[in-house]
Amino acid sequence: MTKCAITTTINGRAYSLSIFPHQTLLDLLRDELGLTGTKCGCEIGECGACTVLLDGEAVNACLVLAPQVNGRSILTVEGLAKEGKLDPLQESFMDHDAVHCGFCTPGMLLSAKALLDANPHPDETEIRTAISGNLCRCTGYVQIVDAIKNTAVHHETK
Amino acid sequence: MRPFEYIPIQSVEEACAHLAEYAPDASILAGGTDLLIEWRRPTGKSPKVVVDISHIRGLSGIATDGGEVSLKPLTTHTEVLKSRIIREFAPLLAKAASGIGSPQIRNRGTVGGNIMNAATCADTVPPLIALGAKVTLQSKRGSRQLALADLFIKPYHTRAAADEVLIDIRFPKLSARTRGAFIKLGRRNALSISRLSVAALLEQHSDGTIVSACIVPGAAFPTWQRVAEAESMLGGQKPSSALFAAVGQRVSEVMIAQTGRRWSTEYKEPVIAVLVRRALEQCTVQSVMQEGANA
Repeated sequence: MTKCAITTTINGRAYSLSIFPHQTLLDLLRDELGLTGTKCGCEIGECGACTVLLDGEAVNACLVLAPQVNGRSILTVEGLAKEGKLDPLQESFMDHDAVHCGFCTPGMLLSAKALLDANPHPDETEIRTAISGNLCRCTGYVQIVDAIKNTAVHHETK
Repeated sequence: MRPFEYIPIQSVEEACAHLAEYAPDASILAGGTDLLIEWRRPTGKSPKVVVDISHIRGLSGIATDGGEVSLKPLTTHTEVLKSRIIREFAPLLAKAASGIGSPQIRNRGTVGGNIMNAATCADTVPPLIALGAKVTLQSKRGSRQLALADLFIKPYHTRAAADEVLIDIRFPKLSARTRGAFIKLGRRNALSISRLSVAALLEQHSDGTIVSACIVPGAAFPTWQRVAEAESMLGGQKPSSALFAAVGQRVSEVMIAQTGRRWSTEYKEPVIAVLVRRALEQCTVQSVMQEGANA
């Protein structure tokens, strides 16, 4: 089976890769590049654990074929911190105890990131809609919603 | 997922050439939100060749074209629900798109994929049929346009040949006198498959008298259809909850006459009637209703 060559930017770094076309973006991130922050959950687009940003939009990495990211830009949880400093969203998740077992956290962070990049001061309905594709079995979502809601405030006061 | 040959495509002509060569072993990939799940399923269909049309620029976007709206098939559900054109001229389609899957699914899934996958629960199809949508299929042999309502044979089967690709969806703008509604019933708010849905349009005179109606249930029939037997009860009538309840009852009867009594009928029989009534109520200016709509 022939591999195909793609170029893609992941967390700001340019990659030239040779991949099998039947690999998913999730396979590429976890198995080829060792970026295991992106979690593998249901693999049918239901749980959101594999959520990453593709050109700034939240997508399920399990439902994107790896060759489809040719020429495009991806952000994973590993790319949120800048120069050793956590993203304000990550700080806010810690401050609000929004991380319990942690499995949903990378996906939650990226769904929240997509929301806040487009809308820095969302209301609760907008937040709940933005994370409606991410399942959390621990928190009951309240701390996560609070963490996202207060991220802008947190960022401004730090 | 089993291995396949992957062909990234840049133009419709290129897609048609490859499909002419590889059909019926080829599968057309757009957003992939249905196909990747199917390909990964142990007993699912697995393609030998994947023709990836997702990068064809000309197959994406929404525009007005005279009295019509042109909706290109690679337009995502997110683009549909945010579109000013769709919100103004086909708000029931925006409503349907907003309830599909999750934000992640809506960012990848396309209207064309929703149509061509032909699952009976596809949420964009009932509104598009209600709107009178036509679709254009193209192959190396030429192109043809047909009514969306005529595209489907049975669940997951369309009349599109293996070498044909969907290149356009278009429908007339809703007139100022026509209002539409879409109601979906799922098991939860997000990431839910439609158990039943109803798309409805109601054209009314300024005094409220109904001129014409269109009712298209989803996940109720093997393929989508307008329910003419129920629509005909509405012409010339004044809107009322009692009338809408009777129309809902008629839709329920037609559904059972066509599908027979199945394990889900006990539930669907009363519920489709209520969904139809509610959809028609949503299409009606409340001030012209003959009686309370709280029932």
